[in-house]
Amino acid sequence: MRNPIEAKELSRTFGDLVAVDGINLSVAKGEVFGFLGPNGAGKSTAVRMLTTLLKPTSGQAWVAGHNVMSSAGAVRKRIGVALQDAAIDPLMTGNELLKLQSVLHGIPKRKARARCGELLETVGLTAAGDRRVGTYSGGMRRRLDLALSLVHEPEVLFLDEPTTGLDPTSRVALWDEVRKLNQEIGTTVFLTTQYLEEADQLAQRIAIIDEGRIVREGSPSVLKNQVGAPTLRVDVWEKDYNAAKATMAHFGEERPARKGRIAIGLNAGTRGITVVLKALEDKSIEVQHVELDEPSLDDVFADATGRRLEGGESA
Amino acid sequence: MVRQPQSWAPSLFFPLLLAAVYSSQFSKAVNLPDFPYPDISFLDFILPACVIQGVLFGSTNSATDLAGDIENSFMDRLLSSPVSRPSILVARLASAFVYGLFQATILITIFYIFGADLAGGVPSALALMFITSLLSMAVGSFLIAVALRTGSQEVVNSLFPLIFVFIFISSAFFPVELMEGWYGAIAKWNPLTWVIDWTRGLTVEGFSWANFIKAVGIVTAIAVIGVTIAIGQLKKRLAAAS
Ligand SMILES: Nc1ncnc2c1ncn2[C@@H]1O[C@H](COP(=O)(O)OP(=O)(O)OP(=O)(O)O)[C@@H](O)[C@H]1O
Ligand SMILES: [Mg+2]
Repeated sequence: MRNPIEAKELSRTFGDLVAVDGINLSVAKGEVFGFLGPNGAGKSTAVRMLTTLLKPTSGQAWVAGHNVMSSAGAVRKRIGVALQDAAIDPLMTGNELLKLQSVLHGIPKRKARARCGELLETVGLTAAGDRRVGTYSGGMRRRLDLALSLVHEPEVLFLDEPTTGLDPTSRVALWDEVRKLNQEIGTTVFLTTQYLEEADQLAQRIAIIDEGRIVREGSPSVLKNQVGAPTLRVDVWEKDYNAAKATMAHFGEERPARKGRIAIGLNAGTRGITVVLKALEDKSIEVQHVELDEPSLDDVFADATGRRLEGGESA
Repeated sequence: MVRQPQSWAPSLFFPLLLAAVYSSQFSKAVNLPDFPYPDISFLDFILPACVIQGVLFGSTNSATDLAGDIENSFMDRLLSSPVSRPSILVARLASAFVYGLFQATILITIFYIFGADLAGGVPSALALMFITSLLSMAVGSFLIAVALRTGSQEVVNSLFPLIFVFIFISSAFFPVELMEGWYGAIAKWNPLTWVIDWTRGLTVEGFSWANFIKAVGIVTAIAVIGVTIAIGQLKKRLAAAS
């Protein structure tokens, strides 16, 4: 039995441009997998190949157990897709669009009606269901888009930049929907994003893609820990300063800190913090203030590419 | 469709306006010595052409919609669903046919109200409706091929004047017998002239199977060519994608 998403040396070129350059993927059942990368990294191209919309130049991919090229029809039946910038007819209502989508997926009318109602409720659009989509806010449209991709209860869900352009509140609301779906129904989710926080919050595992290549892959916390130990900063009373410094030296290398503060790179990672605090307490050293700074996914990206993602985030 | 009157209203209004202009301007033509149907009103003469013209104007709609779907990636939504690929084309052709039927019905009704006389009665009216709907689909299939090829509404819409040219260099509003020089020569070989002449035979002289079959035959031939090209373009687009 194959994993819900597998890719082997998947590539796509447009003329001279290599948009996706031999990526390997394996996403486990029930996982939320984040595909993080800057503008033009090749995220959408990868999604379009995995969802049978674009033919790979070389390589293979299997989605929901079927080959995307030789069994495209079988793949389409089992996947839900919310594409980046997929327009929806502004003159139709949310309800009508859901019904249309049900027809596309060959869902019998009676079943479709119940399902559409359920989905509107799931994404919090029950009240707006009979309004034309043209009157929806950006967040509502994305939520409708999500509902549309779910009418046929797909095994694998692809979301291409689902929250790009949304305000923080709508973004968090959409994250909640995706989490709920993943936890309650066990849908495998493949999600692309340019937002570090989104990948961090939502995905159990991520791949960082840059210029068509996967440059890092793993769980966000492991990736962050690989970049370097998190920085632990502790403030103590002046009288305890030297004792505290000696104690903390056992747990990691000293790092620069302002006067009166002790900072170390915590070798055991973020989890090591309790051990350090316990050791200080055993020495009767009173801790006044603690700070733990994890490396961010931006540090991971910078480590892999020599560039920062954060700057591009406002786009 | 009901929600977008701006998309279909012009294709009804325009031909009616033209019909009004032509019948007041050219109605003297009926009195010319070589006019093939001396006993009928000019309105009766141009009725089939007006219906055909209206339907042809409307035939771009289906293709424009399709190009729009490609532009705004609704097509991607379709293609990522298990919808059968040929049905994408069939649906568009069917919509061109149905839309043609809708327009033909309205136009004929309006002409009837304004006193046009259909020699063949109901059978001729039905024949006219069928032929024009089929023609809407036939011409639509060429435009659909362009839509599939370019995925651009702008390109599809830019073909609109071409339809105008085909109509004007045909027997639509003036008998070919009365045309002169190169104009007449082209008009004589314009397939639209044949369609219009045979269809006019049905409405002016009365229903005859011979004319009906000839008209349906030529329109079917146009449709076969158009649909074949459209199928080729659909395949090409799908091959580039999936
Ligand atoms: N149909 C196409 N024809 C030519 N080039 C293309 C095509 N689609 C994508 N590209 C190019 O391939 C590269 C990757 O594009 P892609 O859309 O996959 O990036 P992305 O990671 O989704 O970016 P964004 O975050 O902006 O959506 C870009 O350089 C883009 O210009
Ligand atoms: Mg993209």
